[in-house]
Amino acid sequence: MDAATPATQAPDPAILHTESKKTRRLIIASYWIVILLAIPLWWSTTSIERQSLPTANVLAQQERELVFPVRVHLDTSRYGGVENTILVQEVQRQLDSNRDLSEAQEMRVQILSEPSNGDTYQVSLSRGAREPAVQGRQLSLDVQTDDQSSPTVLAMQLADTIVTLLAPYTAARGSQTERVVKYAPRYRLAFTLLNEDSASGNAALTWDIRASLSKHIAPLLERLSVLHNFTVESQVQYHAPLAFDPQIVYSQDRTEYGLTQEDLTVFVNSAEWTLSSSVSNDPVLHFVLFIPSQQHSPLHILDERGHSIASTAFVLPQWGGIVILNRPSPIVSRHLAASVLDAAFVTFRYQLKALLGVPALPSHVHLADASFDGAGITDWQLDALLRRRAVENVVGTQETLQSIVRLVDQIEGMPVGLDVKSDVLGALNALEKVYAAASASSARAAQSAGAAFSLASRAFFNPGMLALLYFPPEHKYAVYAPLFASSAAPLLAAILREVLAWRRARKARNRGEHQADTTGRQKVE
Amino acid sequence: MASSLLASWLRLYPTVQVFATWTGITCAQVNSQDIPARQFFERHGGSTSGHTNNWAVLVCASRYWFNYRHMANALGMYRTVKRLGIPDSNIILMLADDVACNPRNKVPGCVYADQARSLDLYGDNIEVDYRGYEVTVENFLRVLTGRMDPSVPRSKRLLTDDRSNIFVYMTGHGGNEFLKFQDNEEISAFDIADAFEQMWQKKRYNEIFFMIDTCQANTMYSKFYSPNILATGSSDIHENSYSHENDYDIGVAVIDKFTHYILQFMEGINKTSQASMQDLFNIYDYKKFDSNAGVRSDLFGRPLTHALVTDFFGGVAQAEVLKSSLPEVRAEADFESWDTSPSSATHTDDYIVPLVLPDITDTGNSSTEPVPDNNESLFPEPHLMDLFVSARAAPGSLRGAMAGTARSWASTLIVLALVAWVCAKR
Repeated sequence: MDAATPATQAPDPAILHTESKKTRRLIIASYWIVILLAIPLWWSTTSIERQSLPTANVLAQQERELVFPVRVHLDTSRYGGVENTILVQEVQRQLDSNRDLSEAQEMRVQILSEPSNGDTYQVSLSRGAREPAVQGRQLSLDVQTDDQSSPTVLAMQLADTIVTLLAPYTAARGSQTERVVKYAPRYRLAFTLLNEDSASGNAALTWDIRASLSKHIAPLLERLSVLHNFTVESQVQYHAPLAFDPQIVYSQDRTEYGLTQEDLTVFVNSAEWTLSSSVSNDPVLHFVLFIPSQQHSPLHILDERGHSIASTAFVLPQWGGIVILNRPSPIVSRHLAASVLDAAFVTFRYQLKALLGVPALPSHVHLADASFDGAGITDWQLDALLRRRAVENVVGTQETLQSIVRLVDQIEGMPVGLDVKSDVLGALNALEKVYAAASASSARAAQSAGAAFSLASRAFFNPGMLALLYFPPEHKYAVYAPLFASSAAPLLAAILREVLAWRRARKARNRGEHQADTTGRQKVE
Repeated sequence: MASSLLASWLRLYPTVQVFATWTGITCAQVNSQDIPARQFFERHGGSTSGHTNNWAVLVCASRYWFNYRHMANALGMYRTVKRLGIPDSNIILMLADDVACNPRNKVPGCVYADQARSLDLYGDNIEVDYRGYEVTVENFLRVLTGRMDPSVPRSKRLLTDDRSNIFVYMTGHGGNEFLKFQDNEEISAFDIADAFEQMWQKKRYNEIFFMIDTCQANTMYSKFYSPNILATGSSDIHENSYSHENDYDIGVAVIDKFTHYILQFMEGINKTSQASMQDLFNIYDYKKFDSNAGVRSDLFGRPLTHALVTDFFGGVAQAEVLKSSLPEVRAEADFESWDTSPSSATHTDDYIVPLVLPDITDTGNSSTEPVPDNNESLFPEPHLMDLFVSARAAPGSLRGAMAGTARSWASTLIVLALVAWVCAKR
């Protein structure tokens, strides 16, 4: 093209030969089109996914309370000293005004004179002098025949026993709340035979753990399986030094060793003992049968005044239980037979029950002789535990869901994915099931409550819910300004210049047309 | 990001940066003015912590050889909490861990915190849970909030509940309201405060003791707003935290002053010690640290004199003894006389051989000078960011805030003027 143009018409060197208004405007427009098209993309890729949560529903849960209807059938057929309906009314009146029950707020007790179907507790009165005994959901209560007490006194006595059985968790037993482990659907029980020093002579190298477990622990686990799932592991360790020296106590003509209260708190030498495998994330309850070495035998627990006490077992709240086994000095066997372990495992079972929050029977109530099933938990106790765990988990679920809603509202950079939303909905759904099941079966209610709590926790701990890091606005400007300000200036300038040039050109054209018009008119004249 | 950026643009002009003032003041006034408040909080049983288990999260946020002392800080704390009874399973140690086996280390496999090299902190039983490049802000926040992938093993998790006392220790290079993680990213005071709030909401702690040793450390706890947190830091806003001493053979500073004196105090503590947190804070001294170490206790519900050091550094708090003798097999439902006996009496037996850290200051070591080592604040003066950022360094006065706003407007005007000028040319 250059060659074709004659040399006399050389182009202006200030103007590129390719430059034309149209090309320039196309170039500028293409820049802006790219930017405008990119904005939605940028917006969608950098904004965080925040699903809307059922906030109103979650907040409405706060108002709801879980109440278990409890029906107790009062059977006076074998007593006969008093009109049944009067006694029933009187007991009902006593229960309604009972403080412990109204504080617990988790059940509505109804006394019936006729047996009804479903999970009804039965209280049978009879004449006699035996101590009250429970079996299953039955309580047999003896009233002495010569006792000509009024129905009111009898009713008070009855109401009192019923309340201690139905609501064993009262504020008075504060230490219990610290001891009991948090609810978890699964627990790992780690039994350890721990020799302080197996070389010292009185060590036990093997133990009949299978027999002891199946005899003492398995029935209990079976009984509690509605609530928890247990994994059991056991091990024998041959060397487990104490981190301190026990005190020497001289009693009669022999030397003993003692553990003070402070020693007990630091008894577990966590730096050197490996008491459980860490293969799962389930909470672990430790049970340690500790055999002191010959240098520290016999080892006892001391009271405040430095005298050794008969018990050699203690519980570390939420951690587990420890039993110290002092072996007789001429060692008969290196093997601990099941019969030797009986005492220790009964203690372990007791400790396990305490750690899991199984209530103890009131001191004056006994287990009916024929009814010991190896677990030692009556339905009264199990139901109380189920009700308590259900209420605990319902409250925990409500709180967790509320805190999710509150945190999502409070922390702007927190993503909320679909899985979080479905877990929250699932938890709410499970809560509905709890309320529905409460009247029919406390076991099903407790299971649903456990599921609700697991779902709510899973929603809270969802790995995707990690909030974006906070950066002060200044940081953002510091990052964005050098990039955007410098690139925005020429883009804006170019478009402004084009607009100005276009307006100028239009004005010029207008003027040109105007002039043409006027000249044309002159010609006509 | 887009929406938050837009929102922050909109917020730019009314943003008044007054928050810098009170951060420095709170800690200075704590000791004198909150006595009535403390007495108010003194309730029945206020002296017991109510915890049943202890956890520790120890973070060394630095890496590379010249940050040797930060590794030593974290390992010193690790050794102390372990000695005082927190099991390894309850300690989350985050450590770049690149000094012990560094080719430049003259004593391979060892980390020392003093010139005399009296104690190898690396020892033979160190369990580092997050190592090297795993030490990230994200992982730290995941540890705190518990938001983990299901496949993460138990040892990397903080499995706490509402009966847990947690000791959180952080060290590294920091600045005003941030702490740098491995020269790569940073965590701000807001992030930690939000993480603690989430923990509180999910009942993941009973009490937290937050300790941080970095430059301008006190700013890091200034944003906390959740209850039951006790916090302490090594230096005030605009102050550096200094290293304690150099080892001329190793060739770098081996420990920071603040941590050094804390550890020195801790050597006098055993598992059953009755020393209180107030006793710990009483050792704070500008002459020793060359900085104003701060304490924030307004969120903490107990008087400091009643809060034991072992509430946060120790192991188990109480044991219940079965009072009766071992029961017969069948009569097992009968015993229920349990006794809660929290440890109370002072027990002076030393069953731990105390570590002897020689008191270096007594030997007249010249390294107590504010040595110009790597421990100064992050950005060289003039602060690069000040070019873009409004006057956050101005200590929060109204004038400073107005100047900041004015500067923001001015810079916008400059950009617009530039545009106009380019247009108008020709």
